Amino acid sequence: MKNIQLSRIQWISLVALRMIIGWHFLYEGVAKLLKGNWSAYGFLMESKWIFADLFRWMAGQPALLEVVNAANIWGLILIGLGLMLGAFTRLAAAGGILLIALYYLCNPPFVGLFYSIPAEGNYIFINKNIVELAALVVLLLIPTQQMAGVDRILAKLLKKSPRNPAS
Amino acid sequence: MSEEKPKATCGKKIDRRDFLQGLAGVPVLGAFALAALKQESYRRSRKAQAVASGAAQGGAADLNVALLGVGAQGDVLLNSMLKIPGLRFRAVCDIWSEYNLRRAANLLKKYGHEVNSYEDYRDMLDKETGLDAVIIATPDFWHAEHTVACLQAGLHVYCEKEMSNTLEGARRMVQAARATGKLLQIGHQRRSNPRYIFTHDVLLRELNLLGRMVTAGGQWNRSAAPDLGWPKKYEIPAGRLRQYGFNSMHQFTNWRWYKNLGGGPIVDLGSHQIDVFSWFLGVNPKSVMASGGTDYYDPATHEWYDTVLAIYEYETPRGTVRAHYKTQTTNGSLGYYEQFMGDQGTLVLSESSQIGAVYREKTRAGSWDEWVRKGYLGEPKIIETRADDTARDSLDVRETISPDEHKIALSFFDPYHKPHLENFFNAVRGHATLNCPAQTGYESAVAVLKVNEAVEAKRTLYFTPEEFHV
Repeated sequence: MKNIQLSRIQWISLVALRMIIGWHFLYEGVAKLLKGNWSAYGFLMESKWIFADLFRWMAGQPALLEVVNAANIWGLILIGLGLMLGAFTRLAAAGGILLIALYYLCNPPFVGLFYSIPAEGNYIFINKNIVELAALVVLLLIPTQQMAGVDRILAKLLKKSPRNPAS
Repeated sequence: MSEEKPKATCGKKIDRRDFLQGLAGVPVLGAFALAALKQESYRRSRKAQAVASGAAQGGAADLNVALLGVGAQGDVLLNSMLKIPGLRFRAVCDIWSEYNLRRAANLLKKYGHEVNSYEDYRDMLDKETGLDAVIIATPDFWHAEHTVACLQAGLHVYCEKEMSNTLEGARRMVQAARATGKLLQIGHQRRSNPRYIFTHDVLLRELNLLGRMVTAGGQWNRSAAPDLGWPKKYEIPAGRLRQYGFNSMHQFTNWRWYKNLGGGPIVDLGSHQIDVFSWFLGVNPKSVMASGGTDYYDPATHEWYDTVLAIYEYETPRGTVRAHYKTQTTNGSLGYYEQFMGDQGTLVLSESSQIGAVYREKTRAGSWDEWVRKGYLGEPKIIETRADDTARDSLDVRETISPDEHKIALSFFDPYHKPHLENFFNAVRGHATLNCPAQTGYESAVAVLKVNEAVEAKRTLYFTPEEFHV
């Protein structure tokens, strides 16, 4: 397949997409942190589908739930910072994909599943989690951090050959 | 459109372009920080407004609240109320000034409520002006005196169940509420629980999922536990204990087990669920028989029965319903729940969010698919089993023997008492009607207190319709 080079505006769009998603992750984490008593308990207990027992079991273990809460909050914050600044971007994108995949599997919008936590829209199979996950897959594969991001400087400092973003 | 390929930076010094593009995210992060700080500032401001006094902040809707009794149950209510906006706590009263009173006042101080502390409720009612409501969580034998005094002082009252340890006391509470025109909510909190309301209003009344109900049941099992202790250095002086009706610190901390002070487990635990029987069946009971005794604990310190089994009869418009209830305090297995069985289905429900399902009687009930599609019920979980070994020669089929299990689609994860307290405060503001007003609480007390009488009488006791009226 012939290589396709992206125009400047296309690169800028992709960098903007990365920062927008980073902003979302970061504020989700910061808001939970500032709230002080936030817990994933309600979300986990609402779980449906084949992993429901696992997620509910996690919710029922106080010590494990503490770990889940902390991992979620700090995961969101670190992923958000990574995406926004373009630092350790691929790791951040992969982490984001994993986190969102877990959210999706906990409460999937499948046919016949109904949730008491109200959603702001109507979904069947595809919800906004999946859209954000797909965008992160794009950002994992296209190295926008070499266009704009701390990784551009890190790559030079470490004298590591960056991947040609257009190839 | 010009095409660009980002320049490879390998092996070169960091130039101005690298620097600018490398740190392109920093201004965005700065904008984020500004937005997040501003948002947090607004959030804190709103929270402060919610707890600030109505007078100081001009928030006419804020309610001034006092707490009367802040032991274990008062603490539960307080922690729920701290999650309800629009309340300003003004005063706390508890005879254990060395411990409970200090603990509650300190907790409220952490949340920005400077409260006045009182040992005697009369002192509080004399000195506190501008109160709107009082939350009473004292031992049952004090409920009537405390509630009547607060109502007569012009305050709305939320009083924990059991309404009183005597029907005479409960009657005085109803009469005082009527005479003063003030609100009196009794703490049967399931009456405001969204799952219970949904089950009653939609599944039972609107959809009639169970069909003709014939039996009901309920239980509350608790593990054996030692008597409640107390920190010796905070003991209440003997004179003050006697002044408030207690012989000892043991009796003060374990009042629920003593006759004339509480009602024992059937009242502490059973009254919640027996109240649900009447609510869901829509009628008060016709009769009750019961067996009970102090079979496990020391009767000297456990005057009320540690184990009680009761059977009620209800005459509903659709026919007789018989209900059994068990409470025991020596084994916590199987927990607590209520169940209702009709010819088309079975309901099992509990305040615990883990329990809540209806089971379809396949031979009698029509399809419930529509209710699943509408989100009233979860997808059916079909329990199947193989025919047993002896039948295998002739039967090579999968035989479905159990009814389909459907989880109730509505979940509830807030503290159990919060919606009932919210209902009370909304009613005080004129935005709601009470879910468990004095008359309803009284009817429940009549049904529950009769169990202890039936244990003593060792025979079936009958209720007259007049007994439920004040």
